[in-house]
Amino acid sequence: MRTWTILTACAMWLSSVPQTLAATNSAQATRIQVTGEIVDTWCAVSGLMYGFGTAHHQCAVWCAIGGIPVSIRDASGNYYMILRIEDDDNSVANPRIVKIQTHSVSVDGDLIERDGVKYLFVTKVADDKGIVNLTHDDYGIVPFGN
Amino acid sequence: MLKPVLFAASLFALMSPPADAADSWGLDNETIIQMQVTVVDLACTLKNDCKPNCGDGKRQLGLLTAEGKLYPAVKSATPFAGLVRDLLPYCGQMILVDGLIIANPALTMVAVQNIRLTGDAPWQPTTAFETEWTAKNGAAEEWMRADSDVKAVIAADGVYGIKSLVAKP
Repeated sequence: MRTWTILTACAMWLSSVPQTLAATNSAQATRIQVTGEIVDTWCAVSGLMYGFGTAHHQCAVWCAIGGIPVSIRDASGNYYMILRIEDDDNSVANPRIVKIQTHSVSVDGDLIERDGVKYLFVTKVADDKGIVNLTHDDYGIVPFGN
Repeated sequence: MLKPVLFAASLFALMSPPADAADSWGLDNETIIQMQVTVVDLACTLKNDCKPNCGDGKRQLGLLTAEGKLYPAVKSATPFAGLVRDLLPYCGQMILVDGLIIANPALTMVAVQNIRLTGDAPWQPTTAFETEWTAKNGAAEEWMRADSDVKAVIAADGVYGIKSLVAKP
């Protein structure tokens, strides 16, 4: 009886995580440190609008709370899509990430590159300088203006 | 600077009923696509860090092709919203997606406008975020200006993210 209970529990758990089947291509991570601005991935990468600094801060908050992935853009224009922040694996509308939108940060993390994307699992936020990219004088509030 | 014509066109497109093919947004590096993919939890696929039901809506999701190519699912048909709520019901399942691949050399991503389970099923627009938000909060002209979490962040830090900077009227 106990064996059946355990087997049934295992079967239920396996049926709830079909993702494990897709996890066979997982890659080795590289520990790196990244310094850059926290940005909304969609606006910054698509070029649909100007997507950086104070001018775009409100929109970056909208998009992060709307569940769009957040990235760090470094000085060379590389983007690192954040899938974890320290002990928190919530990467969808996570209040910790929303709170640091547009901030200039330095983070340690595990980098996995695949198919043209740099995915970053942040292990430590080493430095947070707050918002230093002042773009509102040049661009106003993007989008929709003041 | 915002491209106002493109932006207006994209908003118009979002309000249109789903057609057989995705609408172009006129973006650089954009390709209109329809492809069959499996919905996956990115952290699980990349790092074997898996949770039941793709993280129950708390993890970013990806689209895995039969050839093994992985795309991050970034943008839905709801303005300023992602795809997790649209894709989560299909965690681990194969679906058809209709949308745009943005192959920026710095980062490749997908915006999905419509999804369907099989080739003859009707396309469903990726508006789950707005549907769920409206069911919870009531109708609003712009969800992002009416959202209590957004309002709390902007009230605390200001529209520019720095409390001492006040927007000109």
